[in-house]
Amino acid sequence: MNKVFAYSLFVFGMFLIFYTLLMSESYEIQTLTIMAFIGLGLTFWGGLLLYITPSKHVPVELLNASTTSTLATIEKILTESNLTRKGIYLPPKYLKDFESSLAFIPFRDYQSLPMGTYEPKLYSGNPNGIFLIPPGTALLKLFEKKLGTTFTRTDLNFLRNNLQKLLVEDLEIAEKTDIKIDGNIVIIEITNHVFNEVCQETKKLPRIHESIGCILSSGIACALAKVTGTPVIIENEEQSHNGKTMRIHYRMLEG
Amino acid sequence: MQFPLTFWDISLLLAFISIILLVTAELTSPYHGLTNLLINRKRLRRVALIMGVFFMVTAAIRIVGIIYPL
Repeated sequence: MNKVFAYSLFVFGMFLIFYTLLMSESYEIQTLTIMAFIGLGLTFWGGLLLYITPSKHVPVELLNASTTSTLATIEKILTESNLTRKGIYLPPKYLKDFESSLAFIPFRDYQSLPMGTYEPKLYSGNPNGIFLIPPGTALLKLFEKKLGTTFTRTDLNFLRNNLQKLLVEDLEIAEKTDIKIDGNIVIIEITNHVFNEVCQETKKLPRIHESIGCILSSGIACALAKVTGTPVIIENEEQSHNGKTMRIHYRMLEG
Repeated sequence: MQFPLTFWDISLLLAFISIILLVTAELTSPYHGLTNLLINRKRLRRVALIMGVFFMVTAAIRIVGIIYPL
């Protein structure tokens, strides 16, 4: 409908311009000037409306509907494996494919992970736990695509300087972001983000909420693991009283 | 067959268009909380800037014409 309107404006504008040119001898100059102005204006606005119309937009409910079952599957795996520890987002040095992301959920607490390249199989004996592809992996790929770089080539300062631009300006999935770095603790606040409903749903799945967090915090955890080169865990994920701002505490482990 | 608008008329049109687009691009910025508007803001901002530059070029031509009259 919008495109039809824009095309109509454009075509009518062009018609007026050509009509002005053809009838330049028949009308007074004032009338012609006004017609030419209107023609140029309509052509321009028609073209602009065609150009700035977004290609595709989907309602945010669709996001919730498409992610919930995947998260429920991960919850089931965690529950049946009786895993209650925090998930550890692995940096590239532990992975065979540097560009991939992996979360390790241990059966026992680890202060530091044994060195080596881990096989990305579901159940592992050394270290003892399971390896999962985090729910935020695809989001991380999107972050990298938008930034035009891979996080393995950047550092924490790059993430600090570009997080606001990425989430607010480029992807338009949040209204405001804030990042605080205090030693090995990184606190990220995200206001009015589109994943709010998904994150509320994730809270209903206690194991996944405790271990690997919601899709947005998981994506950022993957990014942090890549930029810092150290294993990262999501310590805490809390909502503000009005439910608009999400505050995520990340902790970087000894790598 | 002659187009009735002069160079200065086009300059005026560009001035109006660029002001309207620049103000719109600024007001619809996600920094003002409008993250659910169904337009491609980047393209809007790009067009606004291009129109602004076009107007500045016409203004510069005018200034040069005043300083160095033919």
